[in-house]
Amino acid sequence: MVGRMIARRAHVIKCASRKQEVNWHQCCPELPVSEHGTAQISCLNKSKMRFTDFIILAVYIGLSKALQPDGLGLPVAEWRQRVSLSELSLSATGFSDSFPLSIDDSHCQALSENLTQKCNAFVNCTLRYAQPVGVCLNCYKEFYDYKSLYRIISLPDKGSTDNCSQILLKSDRLQVFVVFNDFFHKLWEESECENCVSDTVIKNDTLYFLNVLQITKSCFDTYQQPGNYCDVCKQCKENYSHLNEVYNKMGKNSSLCIDIEDMMNMTRKMWSKTFNCSFSRLEAVPVIAVSSFMLFLPIIFYLSSFLHSEQKKRKLILPKRAASSSNLMNIQEKKS
Amino acid sequence: MSNIMKKVSWSSREDDPGVAERTPLLNGTSRQVRIERGRRGDSELNQTEEIPHNEKLLSVRYESLDYDNSENQLFLEEERRMSLLGFRFLEFKRWLVCAFIGIFTGLVACFIDIVVEKLSDLKYHAVKQSIVKFTEAGGLCISLILWATLNAAFVLAGSLMVAFIEPVAAGSGIPQIKCYLNGVKIPRVVRLKTLLVKVFGVICSVAGGLAVGKEGPMIHSGAVIAAGISQGRTTSLKKDFKIFEYFRRDTEKRDFVSAGAAAGVSAAFGAPVGGVLFSLEEGASFWNQMLTWRIFFASMISTFTLNFFLSIYHGKPGDLSNPGLINFGRFEDEVRFIVETCHLKSLLTTLCCSLGGIIGALFNSLNYWLTIFRIRYVHRPFLQVAEAVLVASVTATVAFAMIYFSEDCKSLGEEPVEHPLQMFCKDGEYNSMATAFFNTPEKSVRSLFHDPPGLYKPQTLGLFTLSYFLLACWTYGLTVSAGVFIPSLLIGAAWGRLFGICLATSSNSMFADPGRYALIGAAAQLGGIVRMTLSLTVIIVEATGNVTFGLPIMLVLITAKIVGDYFVEGLYDIHIKLQSVPFLHWMMSSPVICFKQVEKVGKIVDILSNTSTNHNGFPVVCDQEPKRLCGLILRSQLIVLLKHKVFVERVNSSLIQRKLQLKDFRDAYPRFPPIQSIHVSQDERQCMMDLREFMNPTPYTVPQETSLPRVFKLFRALGLRHLVVVDDENKVMGLVTRKDLARYHLGKHGLEELHLAQT
Repeated sequence: MVGRMIARRAHVIKCASRKQEVNWHQCCPELPVSEHGTAQISCLNKSKMRFTDFIILAVYIGLSKALQPDGLGLPVAEWRQRVSLSELSLSATGFSDSFPLSIDDSHCQALSENLTQKCNAFVNCTLRYAQPVGVCLNCYKEFYDYKSLYRIISLPDKGSTDNCSQILLKSDRLQVFVVFNDFFHKLWEESECENCVSDTVIKNDTLYFLNVLQITKSCFDTYQQPGNYCDVCKQCKENYSHLNEVYNKMGKNSSLCIDIEDMMNMTRKMWSKTFNCSFSRLEAVPVIAVSSFMLFLPIIFYLSSFLHSEQKKRKLILPKRAASSSNLMNIQEKKS
Repeated sequence: MSNIMKKVSWSSREDDPGVAERTPLLNGTSRQVRIERGRRGDSELNQTEEIPHNEKLLSVRYESLDYDNSENQLFLEEERRMSLLGFRFLEFKRWLVCAFIGIFTGLVACFIDIVVEKLSDLKYHAVKQSIVKFTEAGGLCISLILWATLNAAFVLAGSLMVAFIEPVAAGSGIPQIKCYLNGVKIPRVVRLKTLLVKVFGVICSVAGGLAVGKEGPMIHSGAVIAAGISQGRTTSLKKDFKIFEYFRRDTEKRDFVSAGAAAGVSAAFGAPVGGVLFSLEEGASFWNQMLTWRIFFASMISTFTLNFFLSIYHGKPGDLSNPGLINFGRFEDEVRFIVETCHLKSLLTTLCCSLGGIIGALFNSLNYWLTIFRIRYVHRPFLQVAEAVLVASVTATVAFAMIYFSEDCKSLGEEPVEHPLQMFCKDGEYNSMATAFFNTPEKSVRSLFHDPPGLYKPQTLGLFTLSYFLLACWTYGLTVSAGVFIPSLLIGAAWGRLFGICLATSSNSMFADPGRYALIGAAAQLGGIVRMTLSLTVIIVEATGNVTFGLPIMLVLITAKIVGDYFVEGLYDIHIKLQSVPFLHWMMSSPVICFKQVEKVGKIVDILSNTSTNHNGFPVVCDQEPKRLCGLILRSQLIVLLKHKVFVERVNSSLIQRKLQLKDFRDAYPRFPPIQSIHVSQDERQCMMDLREFMNPTPYTVPQETSLPRVFKLFRALGLRHLVVVDDENKVMGLVTRKDLARYHLGKHGLEELHLAQT
């Protein structure tokens, strides 16, 4: 039974090694009819040579050599040359040269290249707009392209025999595409880009904000004079307050993404630190006055209660004592 | 008792002027007999001396709990009648009561937490709006006045309730519960009214921004809930649900109150085991396995209920991340922390703990003097309310002033802050002092533990520590419901973090995260103030959620306790002493009034009505010679008998009387009517009452030669109220009560005697 299995397997391997460019399952129909079903499925499922195949092959070679001196069709040396270790290596690329994939191979290959391209585009864009942060508003197209392609790959339509998701995404332990996908989605979520951009269209609120920001910036540029910032503070105050209002309202609606936040932050820094326009401590005097008054009140309160109210006294109650115990005598002696 | 007397001196008594007249110990008996006849107005002797309140007094109004069961005939009959099924059912009822205690304590804690959060949010929101409006326009003193007014309004409401409706609900409640578990019956401490006042009081105090916490009142509330549920009725609302009648006596009630206190601790801190140990530490009487198991059950249920309902409230059911009212957050990097506490760093840590002990002792002494002043001079209710309101407004003023003048600004977004206050910082930054002051203390503690280094400047922390220390010291002891756990944690966390920051800047290496030192400082400060070691260690370990911190925290607390004890006692002990409670911390028999087994009603009524003696236990002697001890009967039992007129003549007469059952005693429990409300006609005074059925036939006795420590051990271990002293013929020589024992206190100069006083 085992011998038959080994023989069958070795036969398939031998067949496939001979037919270089031919698809794998063409070897399988050569098998006897009764075992066709299972053997074919197992044939189809194994898209690459496994170590066990090598062992089986070695055993078969050994056995056939032992049993039939001229058993193998091919000379051993030539066989060995063909099925060299490099060809038997477990890398998909090496394998695909000697053991070709299924029918949709070119399709998957194309998808893989496409996906790589889209990833590259998004990464390049993100890195270009890393500082100052502009990921959401500048790279959303690339992101959505990538996202749709990934969705096509990972969730194929029902009924199609497309198994590129299996090949590309789940074939190995590392799962590089999946790792990258997680990373992109995490980046997108942390930037909260969905608040500004949705369905490949920038939202109205965001556009309005950008508009107001533009106006404010132009105001800054107009009135800005190096060294003297009084004008800027006065003239652009209205614009700046309006910008702040818009920003706060957007904050309440949670329609802020990292781009907007960063732009606002920059503007604020410019306003407060560079132009030094924020308000200073006016009238510390009333605050000090009110505080001192408040702090003085308890002192008055305690003094008045000390002087005016009656001190609470306690009435002592004298206890009864037992008459005769010898302890009393002891104490009396001690005292006297 | 002679052994102790010989060894110690009486030096403390020598200072007293006029000691010769007043001390009955040194004089002959004849003078005492004259004194006890109650001739108060006797100017010759002038024995009703009045002195200002001090800590060396014992109040006469505190009685003991009757923890020891009176196993009279009625009780034994009832036990005989109870079937095995009845017994099992009784045990099941005990478990059921403990479960309900846990559930209701958790619900009350949940309620307090939610309401405090909402009110605080509203208040801070309003103040913040006003500050934001006036920062630009000027006129910030209006914001200050607004803040002070809001604080004052909340605290006024809370203080009015406490001062006028139920004064015993003032303070944190832990001293009162400690006394209750110790065996002292503090009047009105476990009533429904107390619970309501306490809950609303603590909500108002915390929402009013006082430097207080809400954990201590939680323990008191848990105890009240336990006392209420276990009795199956409310005497305040006059409703009797007719369940749990077996539990209507002091023994069972005190056991349930232990469970309630444990449930309260567990709800407050998320520390069920800490709660069990708290009850164990405070009420070490008759601790058995089943009781421990039930108490543990109650605390577990309490924390689980709180967790469950808070998760639902926060919109994340099943999250279960709020096991207690206070949440210290997660601590990581434990191993590194442990390794770092060695060599030089351990020396510094020890320094930290000693500092905690010293600062704690300072806190306690300041508070002690302040409380003495308050008891002596600020004793009228409206004065107390006024004081509380003043403290609230000053708290707001101090906080506002510190925020106003602080220059410490930090950028937004580094750490999420609830109410970031910009004040005079640049746009996009917020005031660092405001994170400490403009928050509930719990959130401030969390931020001090977990915020990354560099978020607080040393000056900010230093000023904050100093001002908060003074505020907390001033606030504890006011007539409001308030705890002291959180303020001490906050003070400790602040100076601990300051210590850590100084270390990090002085040595250039990354010593430790200042957050670790904040934790050590908080534990050291708390240990230095309250001086609870065992339960506090477990509470902190459970609250931080990390068992690895157990040993460091324990060492910290022990060090703080040792250093602090060198100077002054723990805060709760000080307050217990100031309240003149006869607390047995770790003689003399009085002349007793005995009854015969069959006694005349008139004599009983006269003795009970005698106001000069306030006896509650009377030994019963045999009628025949020699007059041996036969049993012990209590005042409460005599009153029930008089009320139901259980006279010998009436039993013999043709009137068919219902025989008195234990149920009648239980119905009268706990508020027995005073003797003045019992009317006995002249004829009835000639009747006789047979005490044999109702007295405790086997009271605990000691021979005359027993030493004081031994008597003390009996009282503590058995939870006694009366101990009969007999001679070798079993004749009654005297009666030792708790007050007798508590009068003798091992003070600094040897055995001191405390005086009894009317308070």
